[in-house]
Amino acid sequence: MKEQRQRTKELAEKYGYQNYMIERYLALWGEEETLQFLNACERPIRNSIRVNTLKSSIDSLEPRLRKKGFKLEAIPWIKEGFFASFGTESPGSLFEHMLGLFYVQGVPSMTVTSVLDPRPSETVMDIAAAPGGKTTHIAQRMENSGLIVSIEQDRLRIKSLQGNILRCGVENAFVLRGDAKRISQLQIKADRVLLDAPCSGEGLIPLDPSRKTSKSMADIRYCAGRQDEMLDSAVSVLEDGGTLVYSTCSIAPEENEYVIDDFLKRHAEMRVVPIPLEFGVPSYTEPFGVRLNPSLELARRFLPHKNGTEGFFICKMVKRS
Amino acid sequence: MAQRGSSSARWLRGADRSLRIALAEPDDWNPVLHQIDADFGQGVTEKLRADRIPIILRMDGGLSFYLVPREWLDRIMVESESFDPHMLGLWLGDMKRGEFKLALPVLHHIVPLTDKRIVVSRHAAEAFTYGRSILKESVLKIESSLQRGQQVLVLNTDDECMGLAALSVDAGRLQLLSAHELVAKNVMDIGWYIRRFS
Repeated sequence: MKEQRQRTKELAEKYGYQNYMIERYLALWGEEETLQFLNACERPIRNSIRVNTLKSSIDSLEPRLRKKGFKLEAIPWIKEGFFASFGTESPGSLFEHMLGLFYVQGVPSMTVTSVLDPRPSETVMDIAAAPGGKTTHIAQRMENSGLIVSIEQDRLRIKSLQGNILRCGVENAFVLRGDAKRISQLQIKADRVLLDAPCSGEGLIPLDPSRKTSKSMADIRYCAGRQDEMLDSAVSVLEDGGTLVYSTCSIAPEENEYVIDDFLKRHAEMRVVPIPLEFGVPSYTEPFGVRLNPSLELARRFLPHKNGTEGFFICKMVKRS
Repeated sequence: MAQRGSSSARWLRGADRSLRIALAEPDDWNPVLHQIDADFGQGVTEKLRADRIPIILRMDGGLSFYLVPREWLDRIMVESESFDPHMLGLWLGDMKRGEFKLALPVLHHIVPLTDKRIVVSRHAAEAFTYGRSILKESVLKIESSLQRGQQVLVLNTDDECMGLAALSVDAGRLQLLSAHELVAKNVMDIGWYIRRFS
């Protein structure tokens, strides 16, 4: 026990983390995998873009960017997604970006919408929608038809949501500012609901090293409480037979598997379903030795040391008719 | 067009109980229609509207106009004190102090409906997105009948719309200008998406 505490302290000091984080990684993964994770978080994440098919075809944008000297590599499970190398240029400053021909987006984030799989003419709710990567992706999958209700509570972040919607030529979104926990008041039933929940951001360490020291265990518990409430609201607006996708950019089981396990206990009408895309690794069914609903194996995780991306959790559920 | 007599109780209200969304009544809509048609040609507004419904969203100091599919009406006209609507459908423009200003996202919809446009060189098109105006040397194509003050859509050589400019000379007099003389002043450009929201 004393040795383990000593090792925790050593690793925390060496990599610049808080002790409680290392303690949890060791308990979750053991030392070898913890070291793989810690080292992976020191490496940069590859840039990636999504072709905005509302404004450009994949076939026309790809050669246009290649002609400018940028390197693109297809993401196997997302037809409109590409790993992209822009050299010294910032992709956000490119003329093609201004025109809305592409969106700079992390691989896990664009995977979330692919898992949701929205179809033309449906009604979709995007809860906690800023800065708009998922709303704009949903819109292109729906070919600008149907209705997307995009909810965001933060007064400043809603500006970035609006900006991206306008730049990308989205015309099927209804943007509302308010508390997602009250969405049932809108009396709109959705075929699909996306809850990319506000979280502690523990998966973003490769992108934001300040996360190594900025959040406490109490922050994770606080986020988990909000996630429970938001999931309950999400299910209240979901049509029978509808699809709910829950995701976070956290790797903490307390914000992911535990939250879904509790949710399934509260909502017998919901079940986890397989994700028909090949990416990431299966999520955990026994994290920290706690046995959870076995169907959680169907949910997926992105992990920096396994997938070379930021950490993410994605779970697809269906409401029984 | 919106029908009069819609129940105000069904309009979406914001957190402060003030009306936020309403169907555009003819008194609201007609000035918009006349201004767009005057700038871009008779009938352009109705083609732009197609089978969508004009909606107004009340903002600080004015009205924003949006076009939404008819089938949305029952769903967006919900009374709720918990949510403030920020945008919906296609943003057409804003009316402030009696003056209607087109919204940037609608410009590319107008491109195929009008000849009030100017095609500029690749370099000038990129400079335009940084707020620059258009000089004689950059102009590749313009309808010769267009007159000073006319609003024109600014296109690059790929027919992509860069924004809106106001002619500072009659197009027919273009040949009399020297290369560095001003032809059209930047009114709005797509760089706004980055400048405004970054």
